[in-house]
Amino acid sequence: MRAGTISNRVRLLRFQHGEMTQAELGKRIGVTRQTIAAIEAGKYSPSLEAAFRIAAVFQVPLEDVFQWTPPGGGE
Amino acid sequence: MSYREKVAWLSLLAILVAFGPYFAVVATAPPDDTLPNLRQLWLFAIAVAVQLAILGAGHALFRLRTPEEAREPADERDLAIQRRSVSIAYGTLIAGVIMVAIIMPFYAGGWAIVNGAIFAIVLAELVSYGVTVVAYRRQS
Repeated sequence: MRAGTISNRVRLLRFQHGEMTQAELGKRIGVTRQTIAAIEAGKYSPSLEAAFRIAAVFQVPLEDVFQWTPPGGGE
Repeated sequence: MSYREKVAWLSLLAILVAFGPYFAVVATAPPDDTLPNLRQLWLFAIAVAVQLAILGAGHALFRLRTPEEAREPADERDLAIQRRSVSIAYGTLIAGVIMVAIIMPFYAGGWAIVNGAIFAIVLAELVSYGVTVVAYRRQS
């Protein structure tokens, strides 16, 4: 199975929500600051539940936070 | 660096410092099979004591410097890394058990088998913590 690419707008959403810190976001969804940093850098894909929790914190739909590009760039 | 990554580095260091010299001595001056072999027992006791001392001091230091992080439970990324490292270390341990319990009895005995078993456990622990620190580094 070829993996697609997952990108996210967590950094931007934090900025838009009063420069919320990684530590604060992490605390609100139950993960460490380092895990938020890894998610933002695209080095760790969170569980579906954590993804929904992040979207809930920013009060946006899940697809506004995470985007998936299929293999080959969706062509 | 997260608390759990620091603990993984500490555990790796403790094993290397405690059991590196132990296996160096055992390899260069293999113990004889007379019982009780106090020299060999003392050597093992010292290695375990050194490992416990390093772990105890390290944990105390981490808890003192970052008490809040020390109290936090493992999050989903920590658990995913732990599952992966334990899974890989399990393979290492099984290979060691096959070597020590099925193959070694045909050509060795006594302390050679005991040290073979200790080596398999130590190697599996090294693999476990090694995979853990590599995973944390790659995701940081």
